[in-house]
Amino acid sequence: MVEVVPAMGEGHERGGRDVRLSRRQFIKIAALGGGALMVPRLLHYGAWAWAQAKPIRVGCTLPLTGPFADTGVWVERGYRYWAERTNQLGGLLGRPVELIVLDDASSADRAVSLLERLITVDRVDLILGGYPGTAAAAQMAVAERYRKVYISMGGHMASFQRGFKYSFGGPPLMGQWWYEGAWRWLANIPREQRPTRAAAITVNNPVGMAVRESMLDGLKRLGIPLVMDELYDLPLASAEPLVSRARALGADMFLANGFFPDGVLTIRAMKALDYNPKVILQGVGSLIPEWVTQLGPDGDYVVSGTAIHPKLPFPGIAELNKVARERWNLKWAPQYFLFGYAWAQLLQQAVEGAKSLNHAVLVRYMRQTTFKTIAGELRFDERGLPPPYEYATQVIKGESELIWPPGRRSAQPVYPKPPWRR
Amino acid sequence: MPAQVLQALVAGLLIGSVYALLAAGFSLIWGVAHVINIAHPALAVGAAYMVYALATRGVDPMASLAIVVPLFFAVGVGFHEWVIRPAARRASELALVSMVLTFGLAAALENALAAVWGPGPRVVNVSYTGVAIRLGELALPVSHVAGALLAAVTITALYLFLYKTFPGKAVRAVWQNRDGAALCGVDLRQVTSLTYGLAVASAGVAGVALTLIYSFSPASHLTWLIFVFLVVIVGGVGSLVGAVLAGMLVGAVINLAALVIPFAWVPFLLFASLGILLLWRPTGLFRR
Repeated sequence: MVEVVPAMGEGHERGGRDVRLSRRQFIKIAALGGGALMVPRLLHYGAWAWAQAKPIRVGCTLPLTGPFADTGVWVERGYRYWAERTNQLGGLLGRPVELIVLDDASSADRAVSLLERLITVDRVDLILGGYPGTAAAAQMAVAERYRKVYISMGGHMASFQRGFKYSFGGPPLMGQWWYEGAWRWLANIPREQRPTRAAAITVNNPVGMAVRESMLDGLKRLGIPLVMDELYDLPLASAEPLVSRARALGADMFLANGFFPDGVLTIRAMKALDYNPKVILQGVGSLIPEWVTQLGPDGDYVVSGTAIHPKLPFPGIAELNKVARERWNLKWAPQYFLFGYAWAQLLQQAVEGAKSLNHAVLVRYMRQTTFKTIAGELRFDERGLPPPYEYATQVIKGESELIWPPGRRSAQPVYPKPPWRR
Repeated sequence: MPAQVLQALVAGLLIGSVYALLAAGFSLIWGVAHVINIAHPALAVGAAYMVYALATRGVDPMASLAIVVPLFFAVGVGFHEWVIRPAARRASELALVSMVLTFGLAAALENALAAVWGPGPRVVNVSYTGVAIRLGELALPVSHVAGALLAAVTITALYLFLYKTFPGKAVRAVWQNRDGAALCGVDLRQVTSLTYGLAVASAGVAGVALTLIYSFSPASHLTWLIFVFLVVIVGGVGSLVGAVLAGMLVGAVINLAALVIPFAWVPFLLFASLGILLLWRPTGLFRR
């Protein structure tokens, strides 16, 4: 035994008792003490090392200026919040996420060339979907060419029927499914109370035509004759002639398959002409928060569809509603914010599940896995599509409410639509 | 059916007069200064945002004219003095240079509005939104009537100024023969500045009128530019009367055609007619 005497020659006595440490005990204590002193430093170094790890670069293009910017910015906010949250929770595969968002100025052509640049010049590891459907559909072909997983809204059904392997609608914004929930809701109304004649106006572009397919299919199933079926090009200068014709034809169901500006024009014309059908279906302009914040009570009672909603009970939705409340003073998270987050969340789950950034591995994993996202459980078929969604929404007292399916209802539907308020 | 025709015709004329108002200032600058001001509708969008800001504080769009008109007149004069004039001194082909320059300005204004207000659409709601004046089976939306009244008053004031006042006559003189007017002692700089002031002020009024009818966003100027070009080309560049008649003609054609042909064919009919018109009268319908 070797006596170890403290260097200062004091303090080795406690309570009058002689304390002697063996060499082994001294080394243990010194190691523990030194270790304890090093912990903060090591923690600091760990954070530093994580920050220094090569980030995973995730790139995308979005319309941050131009006609589609109003929704594009919400998708961007969804992506950015996902990146921020992912980094706070330790990153992706232990590496920080670096998000690169390029503005395509609402041009599908520019969206394509910028995505190619992200893949070939910036050499991003992962890509996220663009917006709107025209840009997403065009970018799907680019993703396929470069064999990159591409999760987006897609460009309606036609874009998922091209045999692409790398594209997924997670969830998609599918015009062909748009009114499915509304049709099921209407089918549950006693036949004698249902609308008897429908009139429709549809924006003459891929979005409108896809929604029109959902309309034609549903009207046929319910046996409601379509007495007016008009297409219009943007910009819509005046909705009065269309609305006044629908009114003259006695249509008690009006379908406005268009965007926000033409939707506003149509609603105002309906009010001015005192046209009161039993139900108004509006896809897809009523999806953005401005429908209720800007249009006010005139926007009430329109029925629409969706793939995602802030009042759905899926895990993560409540947190996103809280973010929307705190950051933008909104009562509910806007749907395009949720879409953006959902697409990024799905990509994250694929990467973490497959533990790889190899896109072929990711595709294999995605085709075999059921994902739990803020849009519910998603499992993809060979086209890259989940099963059709069937949510119907109605704007009631300035809020978008879920009215179908009954198990997801956030409010009782209002039918028939009350007359316009004066 | 007659009631529907009358409804379509009157609604078309009301909307068309608002297009005419937007096109009038654009046409005036093109005629007098040979400048194709692509930023003209963007300035109207700027006015629309000003109206929106005031409306959210309880100021009626009509009352906001008291701020919009003098402010936009000053903007117009400044626009000429600090943007167009320096460019005109250096450019050999002013029409082309002005198009590029004002396109850039329009894009800058769009981005500035998006930075301040966000890119989302805005709607001005007033007590008479969606309210109609009923004359038998005819329903005239008050917002359209108000927009048309604004157009009528503004265009009449512009007309009286151009044809009944000495400075207005000077503007017309410059429009008809720039060198001749200068030789007669007309101060070209002053007259051109005045023209810009009036034109941009009319864009401001048009912005007010458009907010009564349409929703708008920073990118709306691109939509409104289509109508401006259509009206100016049909009416004839530089013709105030032409702009009025062309605006109303375009509005009426859109609405009446929708009664007899599928609505999807209306733009085709409109632009095909425009093509034929340009072959027949390249200077527009009402330019002498």
